Parts: sequence; C-alpha cells; structure tokens
Amino acid sequence: MKKFFILIIILFGKKLLAQELYVVTDPASNVPSKSLNINVMQSLFKEKFEDGYNYHLMPEITYGINKNLMIRGSAFVSTRSNKLYTEGGGFMMKYRFLSEDDIHSHFRMAGYVRYSFNRADIHQEQLEILGHNTGFETGIIATKLIKKTAISASLSYEKALDNTVNYKFPSAFGNNATNYTFSYGKLMYPSTYKNFKETNINFMVELVGQTINKNGRSFLDIVPAVQFIFNSQSRIDLAYRAQLYNSMLRTAPNGVYLNLYYTFFNLK
Amino acid sequence: MSKNFYKSFVITSLFLFTVFYKTNAQISRIELKAAGLTCSMCSNAIFKQLKAIPEVDNVKTDLNSNTFVITIKNDKIVSPIVFKSKVEDAGFFIGSFIVVASENFLPKTNYIVIEGTNKKATEVKFQILDKGYVTEKEFKKLSKQYNKILTYILSNDNDFHIKILG
Repeated sequence: MKKFFILIIILFGKKLLAQELYVVTDPASNVPSKSLNINVMQSLFKEKFEDGYNYHLMPEITYGINKNLMIRGSAFVSTRSNKLYTEGGGFMMKYRFLSEDDIHSHFRMAGYVRYSFNRADIHQEQLEILGHNTGFETGIIATKLIKKTAISASLSYEKALDNTVNYKFPSAFGNNATNYTFSYGKLMYPSTYKNFKETNINFMVELVGQTINKNGRSFLDIVPAVQFIFNSQSRIDLAYRAQLYNSMLRTAPNGVYLNLYYTFFNLK
Repeated sequence: MSKNFYKSFVITSLFLFTVFYKTNAQISRIELKAAGLTCSMCSNAIFKQLKAIPEVDNVKTDLNSNTFVITIKNDKIVSPIVFKSKVEDAGFFIGSFIVVASENFLPKTNYIVIEGTNKKATEVKFQILDKGYVTEKEFKKLSKQYNKILTYILSNDNDFHIKILG
C-alpha cells in the first residue's frame, strides 16, 4: 500500500501532459462533429456472495451531431445468468453549453441525459443504469484543463424503474440516487510529442460515488487506470475498480475493466 | 477560318491570362494555432478536419504547440471562415490565425488593415484579429484597444480586421 502511494506521488509530481479521455466517466468535451467512436468495454467483477466472476460486455457507438451535441447508443451483455445474455441497451445525449478555451487550457461544461432498459433481475441496492437497471439519469459535467492537467467532476440524478417485463423494482430499495464523480488524468509518455503515430500513455484516477436519496446509503469507489493511445486514433484502457466505502447492498463491487476504443473521423 | 481561329486563340489566351492573374492574388499559406487542447488525439481531430478541405494541399502539424501550417493549392480561393468552422467542428477554437498571401492580395479583397504596413514586394503576412481567430482573452483585450473601430466591435463574420506582420 505504501509503495502504491509512493508511486502515485511520483506519477502526480512529475510535470507532464494530460488527457481527459476517462475510463468510467465522460468529460464535458464531446467527440468531434461528424466523427464516430466505437467503444467496447469489458469488465470482470468478483461476486461477493457467491463464487466466481461476473463478466459484462458493453459495446458503444458515439456520434458527433455537431460541435456541441453528441449521441451514444450502448448494449449491455453479461454472464450473470451463466451464459452470454443481452440484458438491455441505452441511449445517451450530451450537450456542451460552455467553453472557455485558451492556448493549452480550457474550462468546459456539459449537460447530459441517459435512458437505459434492462431485462435482468434486480439484485442490489446500487443503482446502475449502465448494465443493471432500467431507468434514466441526468447530470452536469465540468472539466478543467490547466497546463496540460485535466480534472473533471460530475453530478447527476439517477432514477431506476422496473426492469423490463419481469422484474419489479423492489419497494424496500430507494429507486433514485445522487451520483458524483471526480476524475484526474495525466499523460505520462511522451513528454514531448514527435508525431501522430507515437504511442501515448496516460495515467488516470477516478472517484465514483453514489448516495441513495431515500435512506442516505452510499458507496465510493476508486478507479486507477492506465491508457494507451495508438496512432492518435485508437485506445486501450486497463483499469481496476476498488470499493473505498460502502453502506448499501452491492453484489460485485471490485473488478477490472478492459476498454477498446476506435475513432472514425469526418464521416459525412 | 484560320484567321478566325488565330483571333479566338489570342482572345482565349488573353482571357485565361487575366483569370490566372486575378486568381493569383491568393492565400498561399496559413499558420493556425489551435486553443483548448493538449492531446494528440485532439490534434488529430483538427488535422483530419483541415485535410478534408478541398482547397488544402498539405497540413504540417507541430503537436507540442498545436500549430498547423496549411498550404493552399495553387489558384484556389479560400476564406478564413472555413478554417474557423472546421476547428470548431473538431471541438476546439482558433488561438491565432496568420496568413501569408501574394502582395496583390490585400488590394483585391476587403480585409481591413488596422495595424502595420507591408514592406515586402512579393508577399504579405498578416494576422486576423477578429473574434474567433484569436483567444477569448486576446479578443477582450483587442476590443478595448480598437473600441473606436465600429466594424471590429460588431464582429461581422465577413469582415476581417488584420495586423500586417511584414
């Protein structure tokens, strides 16, 4: 643990470049206009109350409608029922409403809405419309890039509904929550750019929290990540998610992410 | 027949020469510095947008300063507006916009010189000072400096106010 903190201090202390292409949260910036991003997120989380792991596959397509508006469609596949099962899908829209840009810095804000449906059973108090619950979420994001260091924070309201057809939302649980995130990202390599082909390595730490509005039950997770950017066009993220604090029922809080990402620029 | 042909050949040649001479008054190079980014993926988004402009011949990028040196194809007329909208489409803004053009460019356009004079015989180099072509901070500063120039304050899309660099 001590070594981990020393490593963090070394990584943060170095004056290097940064990124805001976070793993589990979105920045206020959008994808470029008329560009299409394909993202395949895979996660493997350890089951807390039974043996084994829970695998989730989440392919996403994001498109920039114009410079300020982007849309995203997602599908949720998991092995919770012991075989690959498509549990649901979702739609998200994000609008950047503020940009204060200067050379090598910016402050941006965006608002977003998300709706997802899911047909899996509801098995935990934690609300998660990305792959677990049917419901919607709306929130705001603020991202600041200062001297090539990117930090971002978001606040959102999430409400879970009954899961499609068979699974009612348990009345004992609180069906709406406040989510809050804080993300930090730095480019570790290269210290000076040479060309577009050069591989970039980013280091990131994200904090993800939720409080159920009805009873105040909460959790807070930390997600450290390493990100590789190839050819200035594709990306691989490796991340670990660990629970720091929890007072609600969660079935698989700790696990790893593998994220593959590709951008098609200038689609007409 | 041959006399007529000769006559029309001369007229056509003269016409083509005039057209060529006119279109020769053009922007040859743009040095565009983008604002609001530090990542190579972001630079690449701008690079791809600029490369997609039909009049653009070549784009050279300095990733550390986010400067794009854009060469324009011979005899192609371009407006700075195209570059502004492309950079903004990529999700960013122009930080500075410097143009190198043939010396006869300014007399044939309605660009408004608000600072500097041209000393070179072959080409003119100037910076566009309008809103959207400099950083927000810079524009606020310049608005105070040029508060007597009404067209500058109005920030009309088609009016370009320039500072000649030499």
